[in-house]
Amino acid sequence: MATFSAITSVIFAPSLKPSLSNNVIAERTSNLKMAIGGWRKNRFPSLKTNRFCVSCSAKPETVQKVCEIVRRQLALPAETELTSESKFSALGADSLDTVEIVMSLEEEFGIGVEEENSQNITTVQEAADLIEKLVEKKAA
Amino acid sequence: MVLVLGAGCCFVKGYVVEHLLHFRLLAKLSQGRMFSFVSKRLSLMMMTKVCCFQRNFSSALPPLVPVKLPSKMETHFWYVLPDEVKSESLLSQYSELLSPREKKNLYHMQGDQFKKSALLARVLVRTTIARYQTNCQVNPRSLKFKKTIYGKPEVDWENGDKWCPPPLHFNISHTSSLVACGVTVNVPIGIDVEEKQRRLKNKILAFAKRYFSPDEVKLLTAISDPEIQRQEFIKLWTLKEAYVKAVGRGFSAAPFNTFTIRARVVKMGGFHHFDTQHSEASEIVVESSDDPENLTRNWQFALLDLAGSHYAAICIEKENSAGGEAGVPMRLTVWKTIPFVEDERVSGTGAVVPISGLIKQL
Repeated sequence: MATFSAITSVIFAPSLKPSLSNNVIAERTSNLKMAIGGWRKNRFPSLKTNRFCVSCSAKPETVQKVCEIVRRQLALPAETELTSESKFSALGADSLDTVEIVMSLEEEFGIGVEEENSQNITTVQEAADLIEKLVEKKAA
Repeated sequence: MVLVLGAGCCFVKGYVVEHLLHFRLLAKLSQGRMFSFVSKRLSLMMMTKVCCFQRNFSSALPPLVPVKLPSKMETHFWYVLPDEVKSESLLSQYSELLSPREKKNLYHMQGDQFKKSALLARVLVRTTIARYQTNCQVNPRSLKFKKTIYGKPEVDWENGDKWCPPPLHFNISHTSSLVACGVTVNVPIGIDVEEKQRRLKNKILAFAKRYFSPDEVKLLTAISDPEIQRQEFIKLWTLKEAYVKAVGRGFSAAPFNTFTIRARVVKMGGFHHFDTQHSEASEIVVESSDDPENLTRNWQFALLDLAGSHYAAICIEKENSAGGEAGVPMRLTVWKTIPFVEDERVSGTGAVVPISGLIKQL
Protein backbone atom coordinates (compact mmCIF):
# COMPACT_ATOMS: atom_id res chain seq x y z
CA MET A 1 0.00 0.00 0.00
CA ALA A 2 1.34 3.37 -1.02
CA THR A 3 0.28 5.05 2.19
CA PHE A 4 1.92 2.41 4.30
CA SER A 5 5.23 2.55 2.52
CA ALA A 6 5.14 6.33 2.49
CA ILE A 7 4.87 6.34 6.27
CA THR A 8 7.75 3.94 6.66
CA SER A 9 9.89 5.88 4.24
CA VAL A 10 9.25 9.05 6.19
CA ILE A 11 10.13 7.51 9.52
CA PHE A 12 12.95 5.16 8.64
CA ALA A 13 14.63 6.63 5.64
CA PRO A 14 14.54 10.37 5.90
CA SER A 15 16.89 10.67 2.94
CA LEU A 16 14.17 9.41 0.62
CA LYS A 17 12.07 12.10 -0.92
CA PRO A 18 8.74 11.98 0.84
CA SER A 19 6.00 12.05 -1.71
CA LEU A 20 3.48 13.36 0.76
CA SER A 21 2.91 16.91 1.80
CA ASN A 22 3.12 17.85 5.46
CA ASN A 23 -0.66 17.90 5.76
CA VAL A 24 -0.96 14.31 4.70
CA ILE A 25 1.78 13.24 7.07
CA ALA A 26 0.03 14.96 9.96
CA GLU A 27 -3.18 13.22 9.05
CA ARG A 28 -1.51 9.86 9.10
CA THR A 29 0.24 10.37 12.43
CA SER A 30 -2.58 8.79 14.37
CA ASN A 31 -2.21 5.68 12.28
CA LEU A 32 1.50 5.54 12.93
CA LYS A 33 1.42 3.17 15.87
CA MET A 34 -0.74 0.72 14.03
CA ALA A 35 1.43 1.00 10.96
CA ILE A 36 4.63 0.35 12.90
CA GLY A 37 3.00 -2.53 14.71
CA GLY A 38 1.92 -3.93 11.39
CA TRP A 39 5.37 -3.48 9.98
CA ARG A 40 6.96 -5.37 12.83
CA LYS A 41 4.84 -8.38 12.10
CA ASN A 42 5.80 -8.49 8.44
CA ARG A 43 9.18 -8.97 6.93
CA PHE A 44 10.83 -5.96 5.49
CA PRO A 45 9.91 -6.13 1.80
CA SER A 46 13.42 -5.96 0.38
CA LEU A 47 14.65 -9.05 2.24
CA LYS A 48 12.28 -11.26 0.35
CA THR A 49 14.16 -14.52 0.43
CA ASN A 50 13.38 -17.93 1.88
CA ARG A 51 16.66 -18.24 3.66
CA PHE A 52 18.29 -15.37 5.46
CA CYS A 53 21.73 -16.46 4.42
CA VAL A 54 24.32 -14.45 2.69
CA SER A 55 25.60 -17.17 0.35
CA CYS A 56 23.21 -17.57 -2.49
CA SER A 57 22.19 -20.70 -4.39
CA ALA A 58 24.68 -23.26 -5.56
CA LYS A 59 26.34 -23.04 -8.96
CA PRO A 60 24.29 -24.36 -11.86
CA GLU A 61 26.96 -26.98 -12.61
CA THR A 62 26.55 -28.42 -9.12
CA VAL A 63 22.79 -28.55 -9.48
CA GLN A 64 23.25 -30.22 -12.85
CA LYS A 65 25.55 -32.88 -11.42
CA VAL A 66 23.10 -33.56 -8.58
CA CYS A 67 20.30 -33.96 -11.10
CA GLU A 68 22.37 -36.46 -13.07
CA ILE A 69 23.07 -38.53 -9.98
CA VAL A 70 19.43 -38.45 -8.88
CA ARG A 71 18.24 -39.39 -12.35
CA ARG A 72 20.64 -42.32 -12.45
CA GLN A 73 19.80 -43.54 -8.95
CA LEU A 74 16.06 -43.42 -9.44
CA ALA A 75 16.25 -44.61 -13.06
CA LEU A 76 13.98 -41.76 -14.09
CA PRO A 77 12.67 -41.83 -17.63
CA ALA A 78 13.97 -39.04 -19.88
CA GLU A 79 10.64 -37.25 -19.91
CA THR A 80 10.53 -36.84 -16.12
CA GLU A 81 11.13 -33.21 -15.33
CA LEU A 82 13.94 -32.62 -12.88
CA THR A 83 14.60 -29.16 -11.50
CA SER A 84 16.40 -27.74 -8.51
CA GLU A 85 13.08 -27.62 -6.65
CA SER A 86 12.34 -31.30 -7.28
CA LYS A 87 11.69 -33.20 -4.07
CA PHE A 88 13.25 -36.64 -3.79
CA SER A 89 10.16 -38.08 -2.14
CA ALA A 90 7.97 -36.87 -5.01
CA LEU A 91 10.28 -38.58 -7.50
CA GLY A 92 9.76 -41.96 -5.88
CA ALA A 93 12.88 -42.07 -3.72
CA ASP A 94 12.60 -44.17 -0.61
CA SER A 95 15.03 -44.02 2.30
CA LEU A 96 17.47 -46.43 0.69
CA ASP A 97 17.49 -44.34 -2.50
CA THR A 98 18.12 -41.15 -0.56
CA VAL A 99 21.05 -42.69 1.30
CA GLU A 100 22.44 -44.04 -1.98
CA ILE A 101 22.11 -40.60 -3.54
CA VAL A 102 23.97 -39.03 -0.62
CA MET A 103 26.71 -41.65 -0.94
CA SER A 104 27.05 -41.03 -4.68
CA LEU A 105 27.25 -37.30 -4.04
CA GLU A 106 29.95 -37.86 -1.45
CA GLU A 107 32.00 -39.86 -3.94
CA GLU A 108 31.42 -37.43 -6.77
CA PHE A 109 32.40 -34.34 -4.80
CA GLY A 110 34.87 -35.86 -2.35
CA ILE A 111 32.95 -34.81 0.76
CA GLY A 112 31.47 -36.44 3.85
CA VAL A 113 27.86 -35.77 4.83
CA GLU A 114 26.87 -36.23 8.46
CA GLU A 115 23.64 -38.05 9.27
CA GLU A 116 21.95 -34.93 10.66
CA ASN A 117 22.58 -33.17 7.39
CA SER A 118 21.58 -36.00 5.12
CA GLN A 119 18.21 -36.12 6.81
CA ASN A 120 17.59 -32.52 5.82
CA ILE A 121 18.31 -32.99 2.14
CA THR A 122 14.90 -33.23 0.57
CA THR A 123 15.35 -31.42 -2.72
CA VAL A 124 17.98 -31.15 -5.44
CA GLN A 125 18.67 -27.55 -4.42
CA GLU A 126 19.25 -28.46 -0.80
CA ALA A 127 21.66 -31.18 -1.83
CA ALA A 128 23.58 -28.81 -4.11
CA ASP A 129 23.76 -26.10 -1.43
CA LEU A 130 25.05 -28.52 1.17
CA ILE A 131 27.63 -29.91 -1.26
CA GLU A 132 29.04 -26.46 -1.99
CA LYS A 133 29.16 -25.62 1.69
CA LEU A 134 31.08 -28.82 2.43
CA VAL A 135 33.40 -28.38 -0.55
CA GLU A 136 34.20 -24.86 0.63
CA LYS A 137 34.82 -26.03 4.15
CA LYS A 138 37.13 -28.74 2.88
CA ALA A 139 39.10 -26.30 0.75
CA ALA A 140 39.50 -23.88 3.66
CA MET B 1 -10.27 -67.10 6.07
CA VAL B 2 -11.59 -64.85 3.37
CA LEU B 3 -14.16 -62.26 4.27
CA VAL B 4 -15.94 -61.11 1.18
CA LEU B 5 -18.23 -58.16 1.51
CA GLY B 6 -20.99 -59.69 -0.54
CA ALA B 7 -24.63 -60.22 0.06
CA GLY B 8 -25.14 -60.73 3.73
CA CYS B 9 -25.99 -59.07 6.94
CA CYS B 10 -24.00 -56.64 8.91
CA PHE B 11 -24.80 -55.55 12.43
CA VAL B 12 -23.91 -51.97 12.97
CA LYS B 13 -24.94 -50.17 16.11
CA GLY B 14 -27.95 -52.38 16.51
CA TYR B 15 -29.23 -51.88 13.00
CA VAL B 16 -29.58 -54.90 10.82
CA VAL B 17 -28.45 -53.98 7.40
CA GLU B 18 -28.73 -55.94 4.27
CA HIS B 19 -26.31 -55.40 1.49
CA LEU B 20 -27.73 -56.13 -1.84
CA LEU B 21 -24.66 -55.46 -3.86
CA HIS B 22 -21.71 -57.74 -4.37
CA PHE B 23 -18.89 -55.40 -3.66
CA ARG B 24 -16.27 -57.65 -5.15
CA LEU B 25 -17.48 -56.44 -8.50
CA LEU B 26 -15.77 -53.18 -7.73
CA ALA B 27 -12.41 -54.83 -8.15
CA LYS B 28 -13.31 -56.26 -11.53
CA LEU B 29 -14.51 -53.05 -13.12
CA SER B 30 -12.61 -51.32 -15.86
CA GLN B 31 -10.82 -54.17 -17.54
CA GLY B 32 -7.12 -53.53 -17.07
CA ARG B 33 -6.92 -49.90 -18.12
CA MET B 34 -3.79 -48.07 -17.12
CA PHE B 35 -4.30 -46.20 -13.93
CA SER B 36 -4.80 -42.53 -14.61
CA PHE B 37 -5.63 -39.69 -12.38
CA VAL B 38 -8.57 -38.29 -14.23
CA SER B 39 -10.97 -38.14 -11.36
CA LYS B 40 -14.17 -38.74 -13.23
CA ARG B 41 -16.54 -40.90 -11.24
CA LEU B 42 -17.95 -43.97 -12.86
CA SER B 43 -21.71 -43.96 -12.99
CA LEU B 44 -22.74 -45.15 -9.58
CA MET B 45 -25.62 -47.08 -11.01
CA MET B 46 -24.51 -50.21 -9.24
CA MET B 47 -23.99 -48.45 -5.95
CA THR B 48 -27.48 -47.00 -5.87
CA LYS B 49 -28.83 -50.50 -5.59
CA VAL B 50 -27.35 -50.74 -2.14
CA CYS B 51 -30.01 -50.62 0.50
CA CYS B 52 -28.03 -49.66 3.47
CA PHE B 53 -29.67 -48.07 6.43
CA GLN B 54 -26.62 -47.30 8.36
CA ARG B 55 -24.68 -44.09 8.07
CA ASN B 56 -22.33 -44.53 5.16
CA PHE B 57 -19.04 -42.70 4.94
CA SER B 58 -19.32 -41.84 1.32
CA SER B 59 -22.30 -42.60 -0.82
CA ALA B 60 -20.40 -45.26 -2.69
CA LEU B 61 -18.09 -47.21 -0.43
CA PRO B 62 -19.33 -49.99 1.83
CA PRO B 63 -18.41 -50.01 5.50
CA LEU B 64 -15.08 -51.40 6.60
CA VAL B 65 -15.10 -54.70 8.39
CA PRO B 66 -14.26 -53.76 11.98
CA VAL B 67 -11.43 -55.50 13.77
CA LYS B 68 -10.64 -55.74 17.45
CA LEU B 69 -7.61 -53.85 18.64
CA PRO B 70 -4.53 -55.98 19.04
CA SER B 71 -3.99 -57.00 22.63
CA LYS B 72 -0.95 -55.66 24.44
CA MET B 73 1.14 -58.58 23.34
CA GLU B 74 0.02 -58.60 19.71
CA THR B 75 1.10 -57.00 16.49
CA HIS B 76 -1.19 -56.55 13.52
CA PHE B 77 0.27 -56.23 10.04
CA TRP B 78 -1.81 -55.23 7.04
CA TYR B 79 -0.65 -55.08 3.46
CA VAL B 80 -1.95 -54.26 0.00
CA LEU B 81 -0.56 -55.43 -3.32
CA PRO B 82 -1.06 -52.51 -5.72
CA ASP B 83 -1.13 -54.86 -8.71
CA GLU B 84 -4.30 -56.41 -7.32
CA VAL B 85 -6.08 -53.05 -7.28
CA LYS B 86 -7.01 -52.51 -10.90
CA SER B 87 -10.31 -50.68 -10.76
CA GLU B 88 -10.04 -47.05 -11.73
CA SER B 89 -13.30 -46.22 -10.06
CA LEU B 90 -12.14 -47.79 -6.82
CA LEU B 91 -8.90 -45.84 -6.99
CA SER B 92 -10.88 -42.70 -7.65
CA GLN B 93 -13.01 -43.39 -4.61
CA TYR B 94 -9.87 -44.05 -2.59
CA SER B 95 -8.51 -40.65 -3.50
CA GLU B 96 -11.67 -39.09 -2.08
CA LEU B 97 -10.62 -40.34 1.35
CA LEU B 98 -7.48 -38.25 1.38
CA SER B 99 -7.07 -34.89 3.08
CA PRO B 100 -6.45 -31.84 0.86
CA ARG B 101 -2.78 -31.88 1.79
CA GLU B 102 -2.40 -35.57 0.95
CA LYS B 103 -4.12 -35.01 -2.38
CA LYS B 104 -1.78 -32.14 -3.12
CA ASN B 105 1.29 -34.26 -2.29
CA LEU B 106 -0.01 -36.99 -4.52
CA TYR B 107 -0.60 -34.56 -7.35
CA HIS B 108 3.06 -33.59 -7.32
CA MET B 109 4.36 -37.12 -7.48
CA GLN B 110 5.88 -38.41 -10.64
CA GLY B 111 5.35 -41.87 -12.03
CA ASP B 112 2.04 -43.74 -12.19
CA GLN B 113 3.20 -46.80 -10.29
CA PHE B 114 4.72 -44.73 -7.55
CA LYS B 115 1.66 -42.48 -7.32
CA LYS B 116 -0.59 -45.50 -7.00
CA SER B 117 1.39 -47.03 -4.16
CA ALA B 118 1.57 -43.65 -2.42
CA LEU B 119 -2.23 -43.36 -2.68
CA LEU B 120 -2.70 -46.87 -1.37
CA ALA B 121 -0.36 -46.15 1.54
CA ARG B 122 -2.56 -43.27 2.69
CA VAL B 123 -5.72 -45.29 2.12
CA LEU B 124 -4.30 -48.26 4.00
CA VAL B 125 -3.34 -46.27 7.05
CA ARG B 126 -6.66 -44.41 7.16
CA THR B 127 -8.86 -47.44 6.68
CA THR B 128 -6.80 -49.63 9.00
CA ILE B 129 -7.04 -47.19 11.89
CA ALA B 130 -10.72 -46.61 11.17
CA ARG B 131 -11.40 -50.35 11.53
CA TYR B 132 -10.35 -50.39 15.13
CA GLN B 133 -12.99 -47.94 16.35
CA THR B 134 -15.52 -50.43 17.63
CA ASN B 135 -17.32 -48.04 19.98
CA CYS B 136 -18.16 -45.46 17.42
CA GLN B 137 -17.67 -45.44 13.71
CA VAL B 138 -14.80 -43.44 12.45
CA ASN B 139 -14.80 -42.12 8.94
CA PRO B 140 -11.38 -42.85 7.44
CA ARG B 141 -11.62 -39.55 5.63
CA SER B 142 -11.99 -37.61 8.84
CA LEU B 143 -8.86 -38.95 10.53
CA LYS B 144 -6.21 -36.35 11.09
CA PHE B 145 -2.53 -36.97 11.35
CA LYS B 146 0.30 -35.03 12.86
CA LYS B 147 4.00 -35.54 13.40
CA THR B 148 5.95 -35.72 16.63
CA ILE B 149 8.74 -33.20 17.04
CA TYR B 150 11.03 -35.85 15.57
CA GLY B 151 8.88 -36.24 12.49
CA LYS B 152 7.20 -39.55 13.25
CA PRO B 153 3.59 -39.64 12.04
CA GLU B 154 0.81 -40.27 14.56
CA VAL B 155 -2.95 -39.88 14.75
CA ASP B 156 -4.29 -36.52 15.86
CA TRP B 157 -7.36 -37.55 17.86
CA GLU B 158 -9.69 -34.61 17.94
CA ASN B 159 -12.88 -35.82 19.53
CA GLY B 160 -14.49 -34.41 22.64
CA ASP B 161 -13.32 -35.03 26.19
CA LYS B 162 -15.59 -38.02 26.80
CA TRP B 163 -13.70 -39.86 24.11
CA CYS B 164 -10.61 -41.68 25.23
CA PRO B 165 -8.51 -42.44 22.20
CA PRO B 166 -7.07 -45.92 21.99
CA PRO B 167 -3.34 -46.15 22.70
CA LEU B 168 -2.84 -47.21 19.12
CA HIS B 169 0.55 -47.05 17.42
CA PHE B 170 1.12 -47.50 13.73
CA ASN B 171 3.85 -47.33 11.13
CA ILE B 172 3.77 -47.62 7.35
CA SER B 173 6.20 -48.57 4.66
CA HIS B 174 5.80 -49.04 0.96
CA THR B 175 7.50 -49.98 -2.25
CA SER B 176 5.89 -49.65 -5.65
CA SER B 177 4.69 -53.24 -5.37
CA LEU B 178 3.65 -53.59 -1.74
CA VAL B 179 2.14 -51.24 0.81
CA ALA B 180 2.13 -52.17 4.51
CA CYS B 181 0.87 -50.88 7.83
CA GLY B 182 1.76 -52.28 11.24
CA VAL B 183 -0.38 -51.66 14.34
CA THR B 184 0.26 -52.17 18.03
CA VAL B 185 -1.30 -51.03 21.26
CA ASN B 186 0.71 -49.29 23.97
CA VAL B 187 4.12 -49.84 22.42
CA PRO B 188 5.84 -48.11 19.51
CA ILE B 189 6.24 -49.98 16.24
CA GLY B 190 8.44 -49.52 13.20
CA ILE B 191 8.20 -51.50 9.95
CA ASP B 192 10.07 -51.59 6.71
CA VAL B 193 9.40 -53.52 3.53
CA GLU B 194 11.76 -53.96 0.62
CA GLU B 195 11.61 -55.89 -2.63
CA LYS B 196 13.70 -59.03 -2.38
CA GLN B 197 15.16 -58.29 -5.79
CA ARG B 198 16.24 -54.76 -4.86
CA ARG B 199 19.66 -53.96 -6.21
CA LEU B 200 21.96 -51.21 -5.03
CA LYS B 201 23.51 -48.77 -7.46
CA ASN B 202 26.57 -48.60 -5.25
CA LYS B 203 28.76 -51.54 -4.25
CA ILE B 204 27.31 -53.37 -1.25
CA LEU B 205 30.46 -53.48 0.85
CA ALA B 206 31.32 -49.86 0.10
CA PHE B 207 27.82 -48.92 1.18
CA ALA B 208 28.01 -51.08 4.30
CA LYS B 209 31.40 -49.67 5.26
CA ARG B 210 29.99 -46.19 4.95
CA TYR B 211 26.72 -46.75 6.80
CA PHE B 212 26.66 -49.98 8.78
CA SER B 213 28.42 -50.93 12.00
CA PRO B 214 31.85 -52.64 11.88
CA ASP B 215 30.37 -55.95 13.08
CA GLU B 216 27.77 -55.87 10.35
CA VAL B 217 30.41 -55.11 7.73
CA LYS B 218 32.40 -58.07 8.99
CA LEU B 219 29.36 -60.31 8.72
CA LEU B 220 28.58 -59.21 5.16
CA THR B 221 32.22 -59.42 4.07
CA ALA B 222 32.32 -63.03 5.21
CA ILE B 223 29.62 -63.98 2.68
CA SER B 224 31.32 -65.07 -0.52
CA ASP B 225 28.28 -65.60 -2.72
CA PRO B 226 27.35 -62.15 -4.07
CA GLU B 227 23.65 -62.97 -4.37
CA ILE B 228 23.42 -64.20 -0.77
CA GLN B 229 25.42 -61.18 0.31
CA ARG B 230 22.95 -58.91 -1.47
CA GLN B 231 19.99 -60.65 0.17
CA GLU B 232 21.53 -60.43 3.62
CA PHE B 233 22.26 -56.77 3.01
CA ILE B 234 18.63 -56.05 2.15
CA LYS B 235 17.41 -57.98 5.19
CA LEU B 236 19.78 -56.07 7.42
CA TRP B 237 18.70 -52.77 5.88
CA THR B 238 15.01 -53.45 6.57
CA LEU B 239 15.74 -54.43 10.16
CA LYS B 240 17.79 -51.32 10.78
CA GLU B 241 15.15 -49.12 9.16
CA ALA B 242 12.39 -50.74 11.21
CA TYR B 243 14.38 -50.11 14.38
CA VAL B 244 15.02 -46.44 13.63
CA LYS B 245 11.36 -45.97 12.72
CA ALA B 246 10.23 -47.68 15.91
CA VAL B 247 12.50 -45.51 18.03
CA GLY B 248 10.93 -42.62 16.16
CA ARG B 249 13.62 -40.02 16.55
CA GLY B 250 14.86 -39.89 12.98
CA PHE B 251 17.98 -41.03 11.25
CA SER B 252 20.28 -38.71 13.12
CA ALA B 253 19.25 -39.90 16.59
CA ALA B 254 20.32 -43.42 15.77
CA PRO B 255 22.89 -43.29 12.98
CA PHE B 256 23.08 -46.64 11.31
CA ASN B 257 26.71 -47.21 12.15
CA THR B 258 26.17 -46.82 15.88
CA PHE B 259 24.10 -49.96 16.32
CA THR B 260 24.42 -53.58 15.29
CA ILE B 261 21.56 -55.93 14.56
CA ARG B 262 22.21 -59.61 14.63
CA ALA B 263 20.48 -62.91 15.10
CA ARG B 264 21.15 -64.79 18.27
CA VAL B 265 20.30 -68.37 18.99
CA VAL B 266 18.10 -68.50 22.04
CA LYS B 267 19.12 -70.54 25.07
CA MET B 268 22.30 -71.66 23.47
CA GLY B 269 24.43 -68.62 24.01
CA GLY B 270 26.80 -67.20 21.46
CA PHE B 271 25.95 -65.43 18.25
CA HIS B 272 24.82 -66.82 14.97
CA HIS B 273 24.45 -65.65 11.43
CA PHE B 274 20.89 -65.43 10.09
CA ASP B 275 19.80 -69.02 10.05
CA THR B 276 16.79 -69.71 7.96
CA GLN B 277 16.38 -73.32 8.98
CA HIS B 278 15.99 -72.60 12.64
CA SER B 279 14.03 -69.38 12.47
CA GLU B 280 11.99 -70.26 15.48
CA ALA B 281 15.09 -70.60 17.55
CA SER B 282 16.89 -67.42 16.59
CA GLU B 283 16.17 -64.11 18.17
CA ILE B 284 17.13 -60.80 16.60
CA VAL B 285 18.80 -58.34 18.90
CA VAL B 286 20.15 -54.85 18.61
CA GLU B 287 23.24 -53.59 20.37
CA SER B 288 24.25 -49.99 20.46
CA SER B 289 27.80 -48.78 20.70
CA ASP B 290 26.47 -45.45 21.98
CA ASP B 291 24.26 -46.92 24.60
CA PRO B 292 25.46 -50.19 26.06
CA GLU B 293 22.69 -49.94 28.67
CA ASN B 294 19.25 -51.49 28.67
CA LEU B 295 17.59 -49.35 26.04
CA THR B 296 18.48 -51.65 23.23
CA ARG B 297 17.30 -54.74 25.10
CA ASN B 298 13.74 -53.44 24.95
CA TRP B 299 13.25 -54.06 21.26
CA GLN B 300 11.79 -57.10 19.62
CA PHE B 301 12.16 -57.92 15.93
CA ALA B 302 10.62 -60.11 13.28
CA LEU B 303 11.84 -60.64 9.74
CA LEU B 304 9.46 -62.15 7.21
CA ASP B 305 9.38 -63.21 3.60
CA LEU B 306 6.13 -61.59 2.55
CA ALA B 307 4.06 -62.62 -0.47
CA GLY B 308 7.14 -64.26 -1.94
CA SER B 309 8.34 -60.88 -3.16
CA HIS B 310 9.34 -58.79 -0.18
CA TYR B 311 11.32 -58.80 3.01
CA ALA B 312 9.34 -57.24 5.84
CA ALA B 313 10.92 -56.23 9.12
CA ILE B 314 8.90 -55.39 12.21
CA CYS B 315 10.30 -53.83 15.35
CA ILE B 316 8.27 -53.25 18.50
CA GLU B 317 9.13 -52.21 22.00
CA LYS B 318 8.78 -54.92 24.59
CA GLU B 319 6.07 -54.20 27.12
CA ASN B 320 7.96 -54.98 30.29
CA SER B 321 10.73 -52.55 31.01
CA ALA B 322 12.76 -55.32 32.53
CA GLY B 323 13.59 -55.97 28.89
CA GLY B 324 15.98 -58.79 28.42
CA GLU B 325 13.65 -61.74 28.89
CA ALA B 326 14.70 -63.97 26.06
CA GLY B 327 12.51 -66.41 24.23
CA VAL B 328 9.19 -64.52 24.20
CA PRO B 329 7.85 -64.55 20.65
CA MET B 330 6.14 -61.69 18.85
CA ARG B 331 2.50 -62.60 18.44
CA LEU B 332 1.67 -61.60 14.91
CA THR B 333 -1.45 -61.53 12.76
CA VAL B 334 -1.11 -60.62 9.09
CA TRP B 335 -3.86 -59.59 6.69
CA LYS B 336 -3.74 -59.01 2.98
CA THR B 337 -6.38 -56.46 2.10
CA ILE B 338 -8.05 -54.43 -0.59
CA PRO B 339 -9.82 -51.83 1.59
CA PHE B 340 -13.62 -52.00 1.32
CA VAL B 341 -13.39 -55.00 -0.96
CA GLU B 342 -11.61 -57.91 0.59
CA ASP B 343 -9.68 -58.90 3.71
CA GLU B 344 -7.76 -62.12 3.93
CA ARG B 345 -5.95 -63.29 7.03
CA VAL B 346 -2.70 -64.76 5.71
CA SER B 347 -0.66 -65.35 8.85
CA GLY B 348 0.31 -68.98 9.03
CA THR B 349 0.01 -69.40 5.26
CA GLY B 350 2.67 -69.50 2.57
CA ALA B 351 2.29 -65.75 2.10
CA VAL B 352 4.09 -65.13 5.38
CA VAL B 353 7.30 -67.07 5.89
CA PRO B 354 9.30 -66.24 9.01
CA ILE B 355 12.98 -65.79 8.29
CA SER B 356 14.32 -64.72 11.61
CA GLY B 357 13.17 -63.59 15.01
CA LEU B 358 10.88 -65.28 17.50
CA ILE B 359 7.44 -65.15 15.93
CA LYS B 360 4.16 -66.78 16.78
CA GLN B 361 1.66 -66.33 13.98
CA LEU B 362 -2.00 -66.07 14.93
